Amino acid sequence: MPRRILLACLIFALPALCRADGQWVLVSSTLSYHMSHPMHQVDGVSRAAKGKGACHAGTCDFLIAAPVNSFDSGDSNRDLHMVQVTRGAQFPMVVVRTRIAEQTPASGTIYADLEVQFAGQTMKYNHVAFEKTTSGNEVRITGTVPATCVDFKIDPPSFLTIPIKNEIPVRVDMTWRPM
Amino acid sequence: MWLRRLVVCCGLAFAPWLCLAQTAQNASLTLPDAPGVAQPAAPDYADLPSAPELNIEQAAEGGKNQTDQQQGQPQENQTPQNPTQQNPTQQGQPGSGNAPSLGDLGFTPQQTLANAQLQAMLDKRTHMLKIHQRLGLITAIPMAATLITGPMAKAKGKNGQSFTEPTQANLDFHAALGGVTTGLYVATAYYSIFAPKVPGSKRRGAIRLHRALEFIHGPGMIATPILGAMAFKQEQAGEKVHGIASAHGTVAWVTVAAYGAAIISVSWPIKLKF
Repeated sequence: MPRRILLACLIFALPALCRADGQWVLVSSTLSYHMSHPMHQVDGVSRAAKGKGACHAGTCDFLIAAPVNSFDSGDSNRDLHMVQVTRGAQFPMVVVRTRIAEQTPASGTIYADLEVQFAGQTMKYNHVAFEKTTSGNEVRITGTVPATCVDFKIDPPSFLTIPIKNEIPVRVDMTWRPM
Repeated sequence: MWLRRLVVCCGLAFAPWLCLAQTAQNASLTLPDAPGVAQPAAPDYADLPSAPELNIEQAAEGGKNQTDQQQGQPQENQTPQNPTQQNPTQQGQPGSGNAPSLGDLGFTPQQTLANAQLQAMLDKRTHMLKIHQRLGLITAIPMAATLITGPMAKAKGKNGQSFTEPTQANLDFHAALGGVTTGLYVATAYYSIFAPKVPGSKRRGAIRLHRALEFIHGPGMIATPILGAMAFKQEQAGEKVHGIASAHGTVAWVTVAAYGAAIISVSWPIKLKF
């Protein structure tokens, strides 16, 4: 009788042991782009990003996405122009995919290859450095994605006939937690 | 006895299949269809890029700061996405087994669906506001010239004393500049007034001051030429400008000040950095 109970428990417990290795969810984030013009320096900030990560067999796949119209530079007219010039109504989301090793140090620099989909274009950035800090069960990742207007075929806006600089780096500050 | 053993063996044999089913369920979360909402086109998996391959160096080096390596090396652009397919904007199933998909993140269809109509409206809006900006800056030139030639078109002298009439050339020149300014101003205002408005957008930032100032320079640009015409008639009749027409100069100055402030409000803050 005890043997039967033990066998029955084993059969029903096996599926539980086969669950995915780990899943992560983005708890909070701040994404901010920087636009540079000889007469203006502008930062647009978004806190509406969502992300998930799934770990399996030693590697983790992460997906982070944010609506293009969630970036706020403090001026609604400028934000609408930004959405127009980045084709944000046609391609409403900026999506980032990356894969990193599951086992990384608790704190320090990690390097990731990113695949960014934005303004209808897909761009890969290799070996982008991020700083990782662990606090309890939360992990904070900060870094800068070196995006440019040319990468995403964005026609640089101009002011007084002078266009903005090609570089539009995106600063990333994310806090992740295991699900 | 043999039946019992058979049941146990079947249970052990099918347990791995149960594991796979659960993993697949976890990976492919899709939102339920909302009634009455247009469904996005099915995703084209050929266009869905897979996550980049793991760099073995990263795992081996761990936290070492690789300052001597180049960071963020961009690779060549991938094939541009077809706007009608819109892979990143669609809810769907993941391309690979474990990687999360956009549908897993919980964005609403309104946030992820492409809107070609809105894009066309934004394009038209930007086009018209660019013309508005250019015309507005061009208008500032004859406006400044009109202001400069104003005193030359004014009779000089106080009551009870002999006064000097302005020359006809000065009067005509000032009036002509005023006319050009008025015409360009109306054209500038047209492109601002009739640029498409984006529904649901709320004005924030310097644009609010820019729009508020139009309530000063707008009526000012209507009153200034009217008062100017009245003053012109009095001058032509050999009279010194009097009555409400004498406010022409003051109204013109207030109008120009508000116009200049409107230009500066959308140019500020100005930080020169070359």
